[in-house]
Amino acid sequence: MTKGAWNALAVMLMALLFVLVVTGVSWPEGEMDDVSNEDLATTLFGEQNTEGYALVVFLVGLLLLVAMLGGVFLAKEEKE
Amino acid sequence: MIPLEYWLIVSSLLFAVGAYGVLTRRNAIVVLMCIEIMLNAANLNLVVFSSYHTVLHGWADPSGQVFALFSIAIAAAEVAVGLAIILSVYRRYKTIDVDKINVLRW
Repeated sequence: MTKGAWNALAVMLMALLFVLVVTGVSWPEGEMDDVSNEDLATTLFGEQNTEGYALVVFLVGLLLLVAMLGGVFLAKEEKE
Repeated sequence: MIPLEYWLIVSSLLFAVGAYGVLTRRNAIVVLMCIEIMLNAANLNLVVFSSYHTVLHGWADPSGQVFALFSIAIAAAEVAVGLAIILSVYRRYKTIDVDKINVLRW
């Protein structure tokens, strides 16, 4: 057997293990929650009485900005 | 209605596909894409457990879906830096084969 075939076999065994673990648990049966966009927005930004994740949104935005600047800096052509 | 475990099985298989790609492929861009697949498997888990929160805990809580949004944003940042690093490595070594790039020295 080639190395690739062994790798594929190993990953298939891993996937099988995952499936066996998931099916081995007795999950409760029921309907999915009916979450609207409004509920999601309320959870994200909060309401007057509840605290949301607005600070986290700000930090993630900052992270995206830093990542963009870092990406531009790394990809910049070096001068000889 | 699709039972909870079916979603988890899909997520597991998605993770396994990503892991296979990371372990076997040599192209750095493909490896990055496979990491994203694994990340999406985790996001799917977050959304699924959040969607079945009432069944599991008795009340609805969409926090998991919000966390999935954050995770997607962080993945975007990771891709931006990852692709820039790959570009930089290609300029230096003229290859993006992960087996040939075995030094972390610049």
